[in-house]
Formats: sequence, structure tokens, C-alpha cells
Amino acid sequence: MSFSEPKRYYVERRIAERMTATGALSFASYFARLRTDVDGEVEHFVNAFTVNETYFYREDHQLRCLTTNLLAERLAVKGPSAAIRIWSVPCSTGEEPYSIAIWLLENWPLVDRHEIEIVASDIDTAALERAREGLFGKRALMRLPTEIVASYFTPEGPDAWRILADLRDSVRFTQVNIVKPEETRPNGRFDVVFCRNVLIYFDDTSRRIAAENLYENLEPGGFICLGHTESMSRISPLFEVQRFADAIVYRRPPGEPHG
Amino acid sequence: MAEAGKRVLVVDDAALVRLYYRGALESHGYVVEEALNGLEALEKISGAAFDLLVVDVNMPQMDGLTFVAKLRSLALPVAATPVLITSTESGPQDFAAARVAGANFYVTKPVTPEQLVALAAMLCGIAA
Repeated sequence: MSFSEPKRYYVERRIAERMTATGALSFASYFARLRTDVDGEVEHFVNAFTVNETYFYREDHQLRCLTTNLLAERLAVKGPSAAIRIWSVPCSTGEEPYSIAIWLLENWPLVDRHEIEIVASDIDTAALERAREGLFGKRALMRLPTEIVASYFTPEGPDAWRILADLRDSVRFTQVNIVKPEETRPNGRFDVVFCRNVLIYFDDTSRRIAAENLYENLEPGGFICLGHTESMSRISPLFEVQRFADAIVYRRPPGEPHG
Repeated sequence: MAEAGKRVLVVDDAALVRLYYRGALESHGYVVEEALNGLEALEKISGAAFDLLVVDVNMPQMDGLTFVAKLRSLALPVAATPVLITSTESGPQDFAAARVAGANFYVTKPVTPEQLVALAAMLCGIAA
């Protein structure tokens, strides 16, 4: 993981949080703790650096694009009975992959016809654990219509909702650092990848490595959706830009040799 | 609703599909339970009576047609439970195999919620 200069404040703040949490009185003593991995501090440190603020149906124009254009394009290439693989990376605490599953149930009439595999990955093990638990607060659900909440969640206490077991079972969670090919490759190739609002936190080198890894995890002709402030054209020349009515997405060119 | 309280078992290995069919049926007053494959379905029907079984064909451990054939060999009244087959296959040999196994009706995926509810009403003996 590496961060550019404008993210200095963000980095300092997270280190300060970990120093407070561990009772370290100086950076030197915290650094010693980190280097020797006292009480699993390396993992806590990584977890502190990953951003876990998100909510269901965030950037739903991309979900609309998924069911209006992207899946149809993939099936036109793969055939009418093909399986569909979707990757949510980073998935944080699960809002995005579960949103994809709910969106497909609500908006894709072929949802029962195709084998759909949704893989959700993150570097942050604590976030993955929370994603698997599937317990969400009011803020995470704020964009969901009440009938959707009623259909797919069970209330658990005054401000907590548990996602249905079938939704949990329809998403497979894995731990991945997207700048490490040995961690990304085993997840296989996908038809559509959602990689939103993570590349903005990387420096140029890490960003380019991540883009190359994501390219390898796409089927030729597969699509990648970034956050709305991000542009793949500025990161890597490997992808083609595709403009649809609901979203601008990037595509691994079809028919290219395995790079 | 005439459907109120009618019990349906949805048998499919895909969690999303079970949830999709369950949503459609529950919104019309059916009480829905789920099974992951034929083996689990056999367990479920030995524990409680159902008015309808909605059964996928391609499933691990025990496929849908094997399950239906076993169901028909059980004692009455459970052996007479109506079966709706849902499958991605639509060849004449697939329909024939389902008939031989003892299915009452066969529908090719994708199945719309409206179709599923209409077929469930028919097979549960509810006037449309």
C-alpha cells in the first residue's frame, strides 16, 4: 500500500488513531510495536487504512447499467445459458456485493436462468467479517426503499437489520490485496468487476499495478466499473472506454491475447 | 387470499433463485420453505406436508428428477404432492424425462413471478 502526498493528512490521522488505541506515547514506540507485530498490530494497522463508509444502492446508475447493458453484452458473447461472474473489490462491509444481488433479483428478469457467482473481496479482514455477518445500521440502508428493506432484511433491535441468509449464501467473500497478483489471480476471470473508490487512494505506481491485475481478472470483453470521480484512461491504456445511457464503464478489449 | 397458508417447498441449489421464487410466492400469501437439493427436499417432506414442490433439475448430490421419482415411490399422501419442475432445459427429451419421473408440470427458466404464482395457484387447486 502506498499513498501520495495529498493523502498525508489521512495517513497521519489513521496512525494517530492506532497510537491512541495501543497506548503508544510516541511514534517510535508505536513503530516498534508495528514492526514486531505485537497483538496482531499489522492487521489492525491495515484495517485502519481501509475506508469502510458506504451504503446500499450507492451509485445505482451503474447497477442499472449492469442489468440494462452489461449482462446482455456478455451473454451475447458467451451464449444464452452461460454462467455470469461478478466481482466486488474492495467490498468493504458487504453493502456493494449485497446491493448487486438485490438489484439482480429486483431488476434482471433472467436472474433464475443463469448461474450467477458474486465474489466479494477486501484487504480488511475485520470488514470481511462484518460483511459475512450481514448486520447493517440505518445509515447503510438509507437509500433503499422500505419495501426492499422489508423483503431482504430482518429487523434485529432498534437500529439494526440482518440480511437474509440466502443473500449471504449468494456472495462468496475472499481476502485480497489488489496490488498483489498472487492474491488477485486465484479469484479467476469475471464478466463484470466493480472497483469503486479505491484507486483514488493509491499512488501512481500502485494504481497502475492494480489496473493491470484487474485487467487479468477480466474476461476478454468484460467490464469494469469505477467510482464516478475516477477515470481508468488516466491510469492505464489497457482498457477501452464504453459509454452507456446510465454509466461510463471500461472494458478489457475482446479477443486480445492473454497479457 | 385463497393461497393463504398453502405450503410450498422451493428446491434449488442457487440461493438467489430460492429467494426470487420465495419472494414471488410469499407476496401472494404462500408459506415457503427451501431445500438446496433433492436429498434435503426428501428430509423436508418427511417432516412436514406441502401443497406444492417447486423443483429445479440440475442440482448437486441429488438432482430434481431423481428426487421426484423417489417422492412418487413413498407412501401416500406425501407421494401425491404436486410437483412443478423449473429448468433451463427445454428439449422434448427433457419434458419426457420429467413426465416419466412423475412431474405434474414443467416450466422453462426464466420464470416470471406472475407465471410462478399462476402455476402455483393451478397446482394447489386454487381457482384463478
